[in-house]
Parts: sequence; C-alpha cells; structure tokens
Amino acid sequence: MKYSQVRLCSGKGAFEAIPSRRARVDLPAIRDLLQATGREVVDARVMLIIRGQPEITIAADGRLVFKTQDAGEAQRAFQGILALLEGFRERPGRDSSGF
Amino acid sequence: MSRGVVLMSGGIDSPVAADMILSRGHELVAVHMDNRPFTDDTPLEKVRDHLDVLQRRHGHRLPLYVLPHGSTQITLMRNTTRHVGCILCRRFMWRSAEMVAQREGATFLVTGEALGQVASQTLSNMRSATASVRLPIVRPLIGFDKREIEARAQAIGTYGISTRPGLCCQAVPDRPATRSNLVQILQEEGKIDVDQILEDVIRKAVVL
Repeated sequence: MKYSQVRLCSGKGAFEAIPSRRARVDLPAIRDLLQATGREVVDARVMLIIRGQPEITIAADGRLVFKTQDAGEAQRAFQGILALLEGFRERPGRDSSGF
Repeated sequence: MSRGVVLMSGGIDSPVAADMILSRGHELVAVHMDNRPFTDDTPLEKVRDHLDVLQRRHGHRLPLYVLPHGSTQITLMRNTTRHVGCILCRRFMWRSAEMVAQREGATFLVTGEALGQVASQTLSNMRSATASVRLPIVRPLIGFDKREIEARAQAIGTYGISTRPGLCCQAVPDRPATRSNLVQILQEEGKIDVDQILEDVIRKAVVL
C-alpha cells in the first residue's frame, strides 16, 4: 500500500495519511496481530483505534489518522504502522453498499 | 422564564445558539456528548471555554453534563448500516439530552443546527433524528448561513475558541445519507439495544 504524504487533517488537530489508490485493509487480521503484541486496540469493525501515544486510527479504506499535533511524532508513528500494513495483502477497493 | 438543555459540541454554532436563548432570559443546562476515541480532548476543552465566555456575558455558569458517546458509536458501527450513522448518532444525542432535561426539570432542547450545513442537517434527516424525542426543540440558527453565524460568534467572543485546532469526528461515514426514511432508520435501530445504551450513558455521565 502506498501513501503520498502525512499531512495535517482539515481540523488541524491531527495528521492523516491517505492511500494513493482505493484499498481495503484486513482489519481483523491487523487487530489480531496488534493485540498479540500487547497493543490495546478498539475494534469498531470499520476502523481500528490503537491506543498509545499517539493514538492511531486505521480505517477500512486504509486511511490513517495520528492524534498528535507533532509532525515528527506522526511521521514516526506512520513509519511504524506502514511496516505492519505492508505485511498484509491488499484487497481490491469496492464501493460501500447502498441503503 | 423556563429551563432548557443545550447540546454543545465545541463548534461554532452551539455557543451562539446558547447565547441567543440566554439573552431571552431563559436558563440553560449544557450537554456535551464525549465522542472519544473518535475525536480527541479538544471538543470538551472548547466547550468548557465556551461556557466561561457565556458565564462572563450572562453572569452565571451553566451546569455541564459530559455524556460518553464513543461506546455508542462503536455499537452503531458494528451493528448498523454505515451511511445512516450520523442520523442514528443524532438520535442518541437527542435522547440523552432529553434524559438530562427530565433530571433537570427542563422543558425544551436547544441546538445550533442550521439548514443544509452538514449532512445531518437536511430537513428529512432532522425529522428522522428528532422523532426520537418528545420535548420541543429550539433551533435559533435554523435559517442563518455560515457567515451570519460566524459573525455572531465573533461578536460574542466564542469564534476563536471554536476554530482552534481539533480532530474532526472520525466516525462520520464516507457517504453520509442526506435523505433519510424514518421507517428504515427505525429498522436499523432495531438491531441494537437502545435502552441499555442509554442506561449506560446516563450512569457514566459526569457533571462539571
């Protein structure tokens, strides 16, 4: 999975990284791996929230949010989580279902 | 003079709505739905600072109920259709505010909603959301455009607080519904235990 950059989010209270193309990440597998390594993970089904400093959100479409206003801290967290994500094979992107 | 409950998010609109109602001589109790972990600490900090401003303007401090909302969001995400999440979320906010109103002897609810500002603020979505409560809802800003609201926020001194950096709600779906059908909303809500969720929310409320 490729990301263009880590940038301030629209509210300027966090940093985000957006995948270069649409993707679906295997959230249950990532959750299991993180929990196996002792990380506290909130599983909201369509996103995972990894507790810690900074707190990190992984959305099902690959979007990452780092809850910090420190660019260096966000960049370091990004590199760490990227290694994890690259260990999982992407699934093709798909549209969300209608209601 | 009567007593109402105002939903305060930390954004630009709700303190302006509260100020307008207080200016008419009514009492208000503030409710903040704490959306962590889908946001950060900043919304609550902003609400507290908004209340400081309102206290200076009106001479008394509004009681503030902080109600947990993150666990409700998780339940909604796990069990309901994603793109109506904002409407289901709003229904829980209204219900929670109404429960606080019952406890506080308040007879109306106040919000800073203005038509068409965000996905949840279309007429059909407002109807679907507010069908969950019985108390009358007062929307002082309903016909205002964003610039008018911002001008009022600047005039009363809350704009700078509202626009400080903060994390937007991450629970908002990619494509939130803008036209909702109440029957379908009720079907979605039937997938979760509404009473149990509300019981937990009120039990974990913190009054500041």
